[in-house]
This record gives sequence, structure tokens and C-alpha cells, in this order.
Amino acid sequence: MSDWLLIDGARRLFAETCTHEVVQAAEAEQWSSLVWDAAAGAGYASLSELELADALAVLTVAGEHAAPVPLAEAALAGWLVGETVAGPVSVAPGGGLRIEGDSVSGLARRVPWGHAVERIVAVVEGQAVVLSVASAVRVERHANLAGEPRDTLVFEAAQPEEVRAAACDLRERGALTRVALMAGALAAMARLTVAYAGERRQFGRPIARFQAVQQHLVCVAQEAALVGAAAEGVARAPGLFEIAAAKVLAARAALAASRAAHQVHGAMGMTQEYRLHHFSRRLWAWREEYGDEQHWAARLGEALAVAGAENLYPAITGGSAVV
Amino acid sequence: MLFAPADLTEEELELQREVRAFLATELPRGTFEPGLGMAAPRDRGFSAKLAERGWLGMAIPVRYGGRDRSAVDRFVVSEELLRWGAPVGHHWVADRQTAPTINRFGTEEQKQRFLPAICRGELSFAIGMSEPEAGSDLAAVRTRASRVEGGWLLSGTKVWTSGAHVSDWFVVLCRTGESTEDRHAGLSQLIVDLRADGLTVRSIPFLSGHRDFNEVVLEEVFVPDELVLGEIGGGWAQNTSELAYERGGPERWLSTYLLVEELMRAHEEVLGTERASIVLGEMVASWWGLRRLSLSVARMIDAAEAPAVQSALVKEMATRFEQDVLACVQELVALEPVRDGDSLLERILFEATLSAPSFTIRGGTNEILRSVAAKGLGRL
Ligand SMILES: Cc1cc2nc3c(=O)[nH]c(=O)nc-3n(C[C@H](O)[C@H](O)[C@H](O)COP(=O)(O)OP(=O)(O)OC[C@H]3O[C@@H](n4cnc5c(N)ncnc54)[C@H](O)[C@@H]3O)c2cc1C
Repeated sequence: MSDWLLIDGARRLFAETCTHEVVQAAEAEQWSSLVWDAAAGAGYASLSELELADALAVLTVAGEHAAPVPLAEAALAGWLVGETVAGPVSVAPGGGLRIEGDSVSGLARRVPWGHAVERIVAVVEGQAVVLSVASAVRVERHANLAGEPRDTLVFEAAQPEEVRAAACDLRERGALTRVALMAGALAAMARLTVAYAGERRQFGRPIARFQAVQQHLVCVAQEAALVGAAAEGVARAPGLFEIAAAKVLAARAALAASRAAHQVHGAMGMTQEYRLHHFSRRLWAWREEYGDEQHWAARLGEALAVAGAENLYPAITGGSAVV
Repeated sequence: MLFAPADLTEEELELQREVRAFLATELPRGTFEPGLGMAAPRDRGFSAKLAERGWLGMAIPVRYGGRDRSAVDRFVVSEELLRWGAPVGHHWVADRQTAPTINRFGTEEQKQRFLPAICRGELSFAIGMSEPEAGSDLAAVRTRASRVEGGWLLSGTKVWTSGAHVSDWFVVLCRTGESTEDRHAGLSQLIVDLRADGLTVRSIPFLSGHRDFNEVVLEEVFVPDELVLGEIGGGWAQNTSELAYERGGPERWLSTYLLVEELMRAHEEVLGTERASIVLGEMVASWWGLRRLSLSVARMIDAAEAPAVQSALVKEMATRFEQDVLACVQELVALEPVRDGDSLLERILFEATLSAPSFTIRGGTNEILRSVAAKGLGRL
């Protein structure tokens, strides 16, 4: 069970700092010192030092407010290295770097807020390598669907600040952070959509009275509930089974819930001035990051096939304790 | 938070192990024809064995023959029985909804009369809600009870009454007062002996040829006062609370489970492809997530909350998933469903194909569940 004081504090902090204007500005400026300083000040830059469930619970709150800062990356960096990495810090999600002697060369692609952080952690040949961003010869700005920076950093014979055996599996942990963030974004999307349908009136009544609209509301609420339950389950037992199952559910929910939520909002939901896109675009982006539903379903399915028919139900109830 | 946290405690896991061990010895695979979820066969002997273990009426107080355990304990036992395809038909309705309803609304005399017998696996119940003119719109029931000396005379017609031909009793939702502008007023629940004078049970064969559905015609059936369940006029509220037990449980996502297990057992060759892995992984992810939600509904019942909205949300998506599972299995293996097929998979594919449309109808249609859930979401 996560720490309620911690969660409550996070709720307050992100509600106060991540206003619509701030999130909007962070996208334009590709960084938000306001949110980062507040979050770091509250200790969220070292989530890796908390119990895993607590760290994930904070990320869920961050996702609920579309917090435009690399908190998941700071946590991942800490988990990879085995202790908090002084930040702001990000993580290179994929390969592309190689170790040559005592230096590192190659491309680190899709690095969240790569241009704005001080250092990144990359996994190269099983090693967690800490690189200063200043040691990159070039930084190319890119972004994901949500407009969150996903930069390319080019290194040529850079001297790593540190090299240690990676203390966790980046893909699994990365997927775990995305599940936590997505559970939050889905909860926010469900609340926003139900509230909107209760307020928006057409044909003389709130659109929530129309059965066709209710169907969409139920869909968003179901997906949010399912991923909320998955996030909670995976926080308690973060094995391959649970991570895979949770990311499958979250990735599918990203599509189904966003589609239904947008339909309920009509044209208003297609604008920048209305908040829905802060959640739908993030959900679409996070769905892909660290493996989409196909990737994780295939891994889960392979493990289940190996375990065999007799273990199918025990796996559904016991998860990674069985498979 | 909309859903309560769901994990099993050590004691609950121990119960799960006991049920698994029991099934493996009492009902080994290959020695019986498994059923599909709650539509599994009726077997009084098997129900009696469960009763001996204390696995019927688990949440009923000890003084009425129960075990004073929880809705979650009942969940643990039910899910194991259902996924095994065990013959749960005889006790299913009584254990799931009649016993808790009598325990909640019944008189002391009714509790002593019915609950111990249900917990022993002796008495079976059917559900007397639907009528020809009252399906989704249950408040339209026309079956009427008229006051007479010492009781009521009940007349009307119930339909789709599953198992009425083999059950002992059924709980009838009927009109005892005039319907006013409040359509939910004037409704009551009576406990009716299915062998009473004036009562006729007629079979309505399923499209598969199975005989489980019935029409029950009531012609001035005398129901004594002591068999009025709860308040006269309180039938609507009681019936609604009964429906909460009927929704959101493991029977809403396990009806087609055995197809997948059997596919894995008998057709290992189809599992080698990436497509098969993805399909299997997607299904199991859904089971894992739905099970957690369903378990949290049981936790809420134990916490004396009324998870009507949550159970409607779960049942609506879970029953669609049961149908998806059938479609997935059909996609993975080219096998003709055959009633008396050589392989178990052919036979259960036959059953599943012909019964799948009912998953999203029985116990309240998905359209109605969506209305219930959506109205509740606005309030939460
Ligand atoms: C296998 C099975 C077992 C059953 N066992 C029992 C039993 O033991 N006892 C018992 O009492 N009943 C039983 N039923 C009946 C079941 O409860 C009803 O079938 C169900 O409530 C729907 O009623 P109906 O069939 O009259 O459909 P209708 O109410 O006529 O509905 C037909 C269609 O119209 C839709 N519809 C109706 N009203 C609305 C609305 N307001 N908004 C949107 N859509 C609407 C429905 O969703 C459905 O798609 C059983 C049904 C099945 C399939």
C-alpha cells in the first residue's frame, strides 16, 4: 500500500504547478523549470530511492496532471545505476551507443528532454553508462506525439562519468513507468470526459443523457479502471508477467479511451485550449514507448506457451510467481 | 478511488490451494465432461461434496449453516470451480444470490428454514424476474399477488426461468400494490415452491436443443405470509441489491476460459507463431486485469459498500471479452465445432458458439448495464 502522505503531497504539488497554461508553455519552450524545481524540491527527482510502489504512485499522480518533466527518467536512471543520479537526468531508451576502450560513441535516440538535462544514462552492453550532455557533439531536437522532447544526442569518443553494471532491465522498468503514468492520464481523461458530458448541453439537455454518449463514458471509465487495477497489481508484483500484462492493457486503453473521450468532446476536444489533448497525446505516445501491446503480448504469450496448459490459470492468478 | 485494492491474503491463497487440490483429486481432468462456466451441468452429489468442505453459503453466518466467511472467499472458490468446468449448476443460483438475499432481508424463520439447506447443497433455487412483457424493463412485471387469508394468491407468467424444471424454489418478483407514478413502488418478492399447486413449468428449448429455459405459469398459487421475502412493497430495492450479487463475479469472464486451456493442451502446434503468442498474451492480460477488478468488487461487498456501478462496468466489459475469447480461439485453430466431436475442444467450441450470444444478455443486457454505469459515473 502506498504512502498516503506522499501521494497527497504529490497531488497538491502537481495540481498547483501543472496548470493548463504551464503544461502548454512547457511544450512550447521544451522545458519547465517551474515544475522541475518544484518536483525536485519535493524529492521527486530521487524516486528510485522510495519503495517501488510509492515511486510508481507518484508517477501516476504526475501522469494525472500531465507533468511536463522527466520524473520517470530520473527514476529509471536511479534504478539503472543503483543510486540517484544528480539531475536533471534522462535515459536513452534504446541502443545505438557503443563502448570503445574507455570512451563511448554513437547515437542516443529518443532521449526525453535530452537537450535540457545535464546527463543521461544509457545501457551499453549491459553496462549503465552515465554521460554528460555537454560531452555530446551534437543535440538534435525531436518530440513525441505529445510534444514532449525526445532528442537525439550524438557522442564521439565521449568519456563517461561512470560505468556500472546495469542494476535493472531498462525495457521492463521503462514499461513500468509508462503504465504508472498512463494509469494517471486515463483517470484524468475519465474524470474530464464525465464532467464535460454532464455540462455540455445539446437538444436541451446534458449530452450525458444520450445513451450513445453514455456508451463512450462507460468505455473511458472501464479502460481507466482496468489500467488503474493493472498499475496497482504491477506495483505489488513487478515481474515480467505483470509488466507485460499491464502494458498490454495500458496500450490498448490508450487507443480505446482516447477515441471515446474525443468523440464525447466533439470539436472542443480538438483544440489546444481544452485540456483533453494533454492526456490523449501522452497516452498515444506512451503506448509506443518501451513496447506497445503487440510487443508485450508476444512476450507474455511465449512465456505462457512454454509454461503450458496446466499452468494457464495458475498464471492468471499468480502471475510472475508461476510464469 | 473507484475500485478497492485487490490482492489475496495468505489465508485466501491457502483456500485457493485447497480448492485446487480438491478438484485435482475429486474431479480429475479427463474423468468428466467439463461445462462452460455457470452453464455447467447440475450435480447434487458434487454440490454436496462442496458443502461438506464448507464451500457453499460461505458468507452466511455459522448459525444458519454457513461459514461466516467473506465474498472474497466465495470468489476464490467460485473461480476455481468455473475455470475447471466443474458441475456447479445445482447450487449456483442459491449460493450466489438467493442465500445472501434471504440472509439480508429474510425473517428469522426463513433463514432457519432455507439457509442451512442451501449450505448443505440440498436446496436449489431459480430466478423469477423476467416476464413476457418485462425483460430489461423489470418494473413492468405483471405477475400479481392478491391478499387472501394468511397469505397471497399469485398469478402470472415468468419466462426464461433457468432450471425451474429441476429446482426446488424460486424467488418471484411480483406486483402486490398498484403502480403509482413511481413504477418501482408496489413490487414485492415471494419465495415460491416450484412444486406448488397451480404452478406449471413448460420447457423452452434453447437454440442448441438444450433444455434449461422454462416458462412458469402461476395460476392462483397460494403463498403463505411466512414466504414473503423482506418488505411488502420493498421488492424493487431488494431485487436491485440481489442483482449486485449477480454481476461482476468470475462467471462473467470465465465462460470461455476452457477453450483456451484446451487449445493449449490439445493443439500445441498452433502456439508456435508470433500471431498466436500475441493473441494468447492479449487474452491473458485481459483475464489478469478483469480478475483484479472483479476481485475488488468482492472486496467492496465485504466492506459493506454497494458496488452497483463497478459491477455493471465489470460485467459489461467482461462479457464482451468472453465473446472475444471465442473469436480468438476460432481464429487460431481451424476446427469445426461438433456436439459429439472426438475432441473436447470440438465439443466445447460447439457449446460456446451456440451460447456466446447469451453472455451479454443474461443477468442484464450490456445496453442496460451501460445505462446503469453511466448514471452512476455522473454521481461518483
Ligand atoms: C441464458 C439466459 C438465462 C436467463 N435466465 C433467467 C432466469 O433464470 N430468470 C429470469 O428471470 N430471467 C432470465 N433470463 C432473462 C434475462 O434476464 C433477460 O433476457 C434480460 O434481462 C433481457 O430481457 P429481454 O430478453 O426481454 O430483452 P429486451 O429487454 O426485450 O431487450 C432486447 C434488446 O433491447 C435492448 N434494450 C431494451 N431496453 C433498452 C433500453 N432502455 N435502452 C437500451 N437498450 C434497451 C436490450 O439491451 C436488448 O439488446 C435469462 C436470459 C438468458 C439469455
